[in-house]
Order: sequence, then structure tokens, then C-alpha cells
Amino acid sequence: MALLLLSLALAAAAPAPTPTQASCPAVSPALPAELAPWTAAQPLAAAMRVEALGTARLALGTAKDLALGQTGQVHYALRPERPGGSVSHGGMAQFMVARAGIYRVAMSNAAWLDVVANGKSLESVGHGHGPDCSGIRKMVDFQLVPGDYVLQIAGSGTSDVRVLVTGVPAE
Amino acid sequence: MILRGVAALLIGVATLAGGVGAGAGQDAAARKPAGLSADAAMAALGRRLFYDGDLSIDGSMACSTCHGQRHGFAEGNRSHPGVTDEPGRRNVQGLANVGRRRSLTWGDATIRTLEAQALVPLLGENPVEMAMKGQEAELARRLSGNACYTRLFAVAFPETGGRIDLAGVTRALGAFQRGLVSDAAPADRFVRGDQGAISMEARAGAALFGQHCAACHAGPDYTDDHFHRIGAPDPRDRGLGDVTGRADDDGRFRTPSLRNVAVSAPYFHDGASATLGDAIRRHGMTFAAPEEATLVAWLATMTDQAFITNPRFAYPDGPCEVG
Repeated sequence: MALLLLSLALAAAAPAPTPTQASCPAVSPALPAELAPWTAAQPLAAAMRVEALGTARLALGTAKDLALGQTGQVHYALRPERPGGSVSHGGMAQFMVARAGIYRVAMSNAAWLDVVANGKSLESVGHGHGPDCSGIRKMVDFQLVPGDYVLQIAGSGTSDVRVLVTGVPAE
Repeated sequence: MILRGVAALLIGVATLAGGVGAGAGQDAAARKPAGLSADAAMAALGRRLFYDGDLSIDGSMACSTCHGQRHGFAEGNRSHPGVTDEPGRRNVQGLANVGRRRSLTWGDATIRTLEAQALVPLLGENPVEMAMKGQEAELARRLSGNACYTRLFAVAFPETGGRIDLAGVTRALGAFQRGLVSDAAPADRFVRGDQGAISMEARAGAALFGQHCAACHAGPDYTDDHFHRIGAPDPRDRGLGDVTGRADDDGRFRTPSLRNVAVSAPYFHDGASATLGDAIRRHGMTFAAPEEATLVAWLATMTDQAFITNPRFAYPDGPCEVG
């Protein structure tokens, strides 16, 4: 499933809105295999400091309901491009990539996200929204090499967000 | 309906009672660092507010969420949903030299000041963007908790004692945006007589542009600030007709400025034209491919790199301007 490549240079702009929940069928449509774990999320507290990232690890292909903190409590690895207001929420989590490839971050709201490595925010290679009525509000793709990455979530309008980091199958 | 809505918004600002006195107005002169005028403080305050998500109900959306500097303070999407996920109505316009515009939106000739325009995303309900209608006191409460804001309001608005309210917010946003001046694009240097500032191809495009486009895309910002109809009116968005109620105004939209147009795709009020070529052809003009390429090359020279990378317009990372 190819993402809409609206702008390669765009890090994580908001995509077009998905249909409202009210207009969705009672039974959610089936998701493609790489997104199937979306519906089986487990809770996880996001890290508020870099030192706490070890307690907020995301396994690839496993969805988490991240509990975020107030923006003022979060000490990001790197100042997010869009930090959000004092009443917004944010947090961090860590994930590890063993094989080079394109990886997708799917989220349930339109909060800003950065994938940080070696002190830099990586540029995305594509973005879009999830399948209609899936609850996936945005998806952002990154070309990654083996290593550890920090997922930063900033300016969330809600105090929790569902997140799934997963590999993108080659077309 | 929309006219009444705008009038109500303006009245709302004029009668706003939800502001918070900073209690520092009498100390403003003492706190003001040497050289920082009230105008400079207002612009600095406006810059901070422009990037602050606290101007939206859930803290998730700032002015800069849609008006991104790298896009000439426009955006790379057709439109942008608001904080409630209500779809955006129209494509986001760039802000280069916005202080010179005679009206401020795609389809409403009555919004003639940046202060009035700011109320559209802040308080507007068609569509809901930042969802702050009725939350003016909450906005003042949030901003009052920020010591830098308190000091900047005090210096910027000594006449109100540094009162933190919506009227001050919109004045400050206007002050910042009036400083978004762009005049260093290759096209500017070419117009000033530097023939070498642009390529031969772009010069050919400039000549074509002068013959076919400049009647409406006129002047230093490539807009006549008037409302024109291109193509058949769309009943889903009547443009100026939505505001005036006149059928003659249906489908009329304000000529957009073309400054930084090459970095602000997609195009037109509905964002439905993905590329410059699409936008050119949507005007009903047909050029041979090489001619169209020259026009696109000319349009690309309107990108002001100094403007879209100017750190003075970027997110304010530095310390508060008032110590």
C-alpha cells in the first residue's frame, strides 16, 4: 500500500481527514497485514526524559496505547519542530531496527512526530492517512538503517495516543 | 450569515472581558530593555504567539501548523483539518508581504486587516479550526502563566497596563506578519534590472507571463488583490458569492500572490491543482510544453530562499526578548 507522496521534504504534515467515526460501519474493515496489530494494542507509559527511554520500548509490529505527559513535563531528545502548547501532551519511546528498509509510524491522532537518530530528526519519505474507519489518523514513512531510534510525539491534543511502528512491505 | 459572523467576531474582540491584567504596565518602562520599542515587543510577541499551540483549544494547533515557513508560510496539503478534524475549507495561502494585501482571504473582501483575519482560524466555526470561540478567558489564563508573555505584553501594550487578552493577541500576530517581508527572490533582482539573476528560460517565461498572466497577477506580489472567476462556479464553494449573496460573485476568488509559489503546491482555493503546470492549464490557457516549461521556470524564480529560511521568522528558540 503506497502512501501518497505529497512532499518528500515534508516531515509529518497533517494528511486529509479520514471519515468520521459516525459514518463508519459497526464492524471495522480488515487491515492489511502490516497494520493488523493495530487492533491489539497494549498500554505503555511514554518516557518524559531520554534517561527513561529504556522503559518505553516499542517492538516493531506491536501497537501500544502510549500514555503521554503534559508538554511542559517532557524533556525531548531534540526540540520538536512543533512542540505544542502548554495544554497539549507529548512523550517519547524507543525502537530498534535490525534491517534496513522503509518503516511506517501509524498514529491515532494528528500529533507531530519526529524520528530522531544521532541527534537529528529524520526526514520522512512519505505520509498519508490510514485506511478509512481504521482509527489510524496518520502514517509517516522513514527510510531507516539498523540502529536505535527515538520516536518523539509532540503537541498531542489528547493524553494518550495509539502508535504502531512497522516495516513497509516491498512493492 | 458569514458577514454577521465576522461582525460578531469583531464585536467579540471589542467587548472582550476575559483578559488578564499583567499588573506590570506601570513597570513596563523599567523592564523595557534599551532599544526595544513597543512595536518591536509587539512583533516579538506576535512571533511567539504564531508558533504557540496554546492558541488552539487542545494545544495541538498553532498558526504555524498550517503556515509553514519552508512553504512560504503556506502548506503542502490541499487543506488542513482543524483540531476537531473538521476538514479545512480552502488551501492555505502564503504570508510573504501579507501586510500589503488589501483583503486577507480567498473569498471575503470584508476582512481587510490581519487582526480581523486572525479571528477566522481562532474563533471561526465554518469550519472550526483552532476552536477558541468562547474560550477567550482560557486563552488569557494560559498566556498569563508564561512569564515571557507577561513581560512582552507589558512592553507592547503600556496603554492597557500589559493586559493579556484576545485583542492584544491579534494585534501582536498582525505586527509579526507585517514583518514577513520578501523582496530577495531572483525574480525581484531581475525586475530591479539584474538580467543575470534568472536563466534564459525563465526570462522567456517572464515575457509570456507579462502577456498572459500579469493583468491579474500584477505588481510586486503578483496579485491585483481583486476577485476573479476562473471556470464554472462550484456550488460547494461559491467564493465571494458566499459572503455577498450575489450570484454575480459566485466562483470569484481573490487572485493569490505568487511569491514562493513553487514551494507552496498544491494550488487554487481548493488545492485541487497539484502542480504549477496543472494550475496554469486550469486558467484555460494552453501552451506548448516548452512554453509552459518557461512559465514554470519563471514562477520558480519567485522563491525567496532568504525569506523561507530567515531565522528571524522561524520558531523562537531564543531567550525572552524582555528580561
